Parts: sequence; structure tokens; C-alpha cells
Amino acid sequence: MGAAGALVLAGLALVVAAPPRPGVAAEKCAPPSGFAPRGRLEAGGVVVLYRTLPPDIVLGRHFAVEALVCGEGAAPALTRVDATMPEHRHGMNYRPTLASKGDGRYLAEGLMFHMPGRWELSFDVENGGRRTRLATDLNVE
Amino acid sequence: MTAPRAFTVRGVVAFLAAFLGCLAPAPVGGVVGLEDSIVRRLVAHGPWPVAAARDPSNAVSGTPAAIALGHRLFFDPRLSVNGAIACATCHVPSRGWTDGRARAVGLTDVDRNTPTILDVALQRWFSWDGKSDSLWSQSLKPIVDPREMGASGEHVAKLVASDAALACLHAKAFGPPSTEPDRALVHAGKALAAFMETVRSGRAPFDDFRDALARGDRAAAARYPAAALRGARLFVKSDCHVCHVGPAFTNGEFHDVGVPFALAGGRVDGGRFEGVKRVRADRFNLLSAWNDDRTGAAAVKTRHVEATHASFGQFKTPSLRNLVHTAPYMHDGRYATLREVVKHYSELDMERIHTHGEQLLRPLRLSSAEIDDLVAFLESLTDPAPPRMPPPADAVGACARRPLRP
Repeated sequence: MGAAGALVLAGLALVVAAPPRPGVAAEKCAPPSGFAPRGRLEAGGVVVLYRTLPPDIVLGRHFAVEALVCGEGAAPALTRVDATMPEHRHGMNYRPTLASKGDGRYLAEGLMFHMPGRWELSFDVENGGRRTRLATDLNVE
Repeated sequence: MTAPRAFTVRGVVAFLAAFLGCLAPAPVGGVVGLEDSIVRRLVAHGPWPVAAARDPSNAVSGTPAAIALGHRLFFDPRLSVNGAIACATCHVPSRGWTDGRARAVGLTDVDRNTPTILDVALQRWFSWDGKSDSLWSQSLKPIVDPREMGASGEHVAKLVASDAALACLHAKAFGPPSTEPDRALVHAGKALAAFMETVRSGRAPFDDFRDALARGDRAAAARYPAAALRGARLFVKSDCHVCHVGPAFTNGEFHDVGVPFALAGGRVDGGRFEGVKRVRADRFNLLSAWNDDRTGAAAVKTRHVEATHASFGQFKTPSLRNLVHTAPYMHDGRYATLREVVKHYSELDMERIHTHGEQLLRPLRLSSAEIDDLVAFLESLTDPAPPRMPPPADAVGACARRPLRP
């Protein structure tokens, strides 16, 4: 086995044996039954699990984002869901509406990606007077 | 020793790639000189035609009686206040369902180019600024616009009730003609929309090429003209496909592509910025009780649409299909030829595109030959014989004889 192969195996072993230690927020943040997250974002003591409805985002079709927000300290609140195309320096032509469903769950409706390419989906969370923005990339063809 | 090992690994990888490549069929794109990434993009512009779904906001969408009523109304100049202007006056079937003018002329001059209604059923927003969120609500606007047909709901109600053919068709589509002006207007709009949904273009030379690429038919793909093929490659390489996306070659949204928006008399055309304000204020929009969709799905776009400062000077991305029939071009009809349109993108005035304009745009700096190639590609998106659908004859007899219930 070459050196490169050994390194790969060593890396895999490290991931399996020692996953990153979850914080308090992460430990609290378990998706409820029937909520299969598309992604998990964590920053500044806040965790956002999200899924898109429908699961596959289709170019030019509206979709919704359901999010579960957890965090350390006071109950965190999701205040904004938005998306931009960083390379094009523009956002969506639609402003999502955001509704709390209780127990840290939120539903953002009215999103639409109107151009193919990389979109950055962002979540603004207020937690104990501090705002944290969590973001992830979504590629749409 | 490192170099030989690396050489060996690379060699194995190359051998495997070559071996696997031998097992797979040669991509058609390679045969016609296109990279696989470009082939994938081109294949995404089909298949064509696409099936148009019924409009859920229009209960009579797709119903024969409403289509027949709309067909008749479309060609009827009595819809206008002076009895001289029909929908077909500007949307002339033999002119690609537009009028060949730079800017429309109704009762008086209008500021914008008449858009074709070919394949209009596939659109999300209607008019250059998207001031209407449904085809039926757009259809009733020219009837009451003082610059276009200058009529009113009362006028439409009287016309439909007093004409035996129209009344018969109305009865089959909606029930007895309404004397209520708004209802009469909405019914006319919904019938016109039902008819216009049937105005669909057929296949273009590009569609045969696209299908050949999709099914790996090298012989058929090779029949696509060389200039159009080079233009297709340029179209993708130049990122035109990002806005002119999908089978209809449009994303149905709004962009500032550097076309001036100053109007005569010191006025400006705010484009989408004004369009969003107008659609929100429209008493016939999809948030109104006139929307037949009770699921709420059709109105999602209207509920969430937003105008920002970037919306100013944006106009709807037009479909690129059937351009040969629909000159002149752009929202103000400023370009008489496709060559001028391509030159616009070749020589984009970045000073004109304000700071919030589409950042994707850069002058393409095309050679004269490349402009010719792009034009050849665009021309290949045209159905050589789009439908003309002449006005129906003997409407009274037809209505009485034919079962027009769906």
C-alpha cells in the first residue's frame, strides 16, 4: 500500500473513531419523527436542521423550507430565511414568509430559485440577543 | 523513487479511464464537436413541445366552450370602445401573433413592443413588467386600457349579452351572460386566456438536433447546420442559457440587460419595479376572489413577490422560440433584426447597467462571424409554420350544434 493509500485509511479511521464532539445545542437537536433533514448547520452555539418541501428543488418552482432550530441558553428564534446567488450578487425575486410552528420548528414559504447555479441558503437565528447567520450552498440545475 | 511511483499511479488511472472509455459509446457531442458539458446544457432545452397544464386559477381553462368563446372574442373588434380594435389587431396570427411594429398602437401609442402570444400558457408573469399574475387577468387589461381598446366591463357585458353567438358560447362556458361589469370582464378574460393557451408553437430545427443529442443519434445530430451548431456552443459558453433556460428558453423572470428605459416626454419605464406594484394593487390578481384555485398554490408567487431597487429597469426574459416571426425585439422594439440584438450583448454598455444590474452580464465581444453563428442558432429555434387559427365562422350555428361541454 502506498503512502497516499495509508493516509486515506488513517483519515477514515479518525472520522469513524472520533467524530467531532457535539455541543449542547447539537445534543438537544434531534429531528422529530417524520422530519428527515436535508442538512444540518451549526455555528455560534446554534443548530439548524432543515429540509426543503418538496425535497427536490426545481428551477423556477416555488418551494418551502422547514427548519428546526436549537441552541444553548435562551430559546433561539429563527428570524429570517433567505437565499442569494453570490456570484451573480443578487437574491431571489420573492420574499419568503416565515411562520413558527412551535417547539423550535419553522416553515418558510415562497422561495424560488430562478437561475441555475450556486445558491446560498441562509438562516438568521436570534439567540440571547445575538444574531447568528448559518448558511449552506445549494446547487440547482 | 517518487516520480516513478506517481507515474505508475497516473498510468494505471489513465489506462483504466481509457479502458472504461472504450466500453462506453462515444458521446454524440464529440462527434459534432461539442463538449459533453455543452451537450448536457443543450439537451436541457427540451423536449419540445412541453405539455401545458390547465391553469388552476381559471376554471374554464382547457374547456371547449371557453376556448370557442375566447377564440371569437379574440378576433372581435367590438370589444373596443370604438369597435375598430380587436386583440388580433396587435396579436396578428400571420405575424407570429405580434404586429411587426416597434411599439404597439391601439387607440393611441403604447410604450412597449407587442409580445407574441405563442406559447404564452407557459409563462409565470404576463406583460413585459409582469404586471399580471395570470393570463386571464392580463387578457382583460387591454380591453379597459384607454391607450389600447378603451372599453369597460359594462361595454363587455352588453356586447356578450346582445350577440347571439357570444351569448350562446358564454352560456355553455359560464352560464348566462352576466350584467355585472367585473364579472363580465373576468369571464371575457378567462375565455380569452382559454383560447390563447391553445396557441402553441410546434417543433423547430433545434428540437430535432436536441433530440438527436439526447438519444445519441449521431447521423441526425450531424444534420444540424454548422453555423447553428457553432452558435449553440457560443450560446452556452456565453452563459445565455442561464436566463434563457429550459425548453421555452426563458426563466420567466426579470433582468436588466442594459436596454434604456427612458421614454418620450422625459418619462421612464420602471419595468418590473412598477410591475410588482401593479400586480399587488390589481383587483383581479390571484389574491382576489376571482382566482378559481382554492388550494392557494397558484397565488404563492403573488403573495411573495418582491420589488427591490434592483427591479427598476428590469424586463421579462422573453422566450427565444419563434424569433424569426416576432421582430422587432426588446421591450421597446428598438432592434429590427436578431443581428442587432446579438450585437447588443456583444457590446453591452456596462455604464448603463446600473450597479444592481445582472452581474452575470459582460460584453461578449463577438466577431462578425460569431454574431452570424449566434443568429443562425437563434433562427433554428423557430417553428417554420406556427399556428394561425383564423377567426371562427358561423359561431351561432356552431354553438347550437356542437356539444361544447368538456
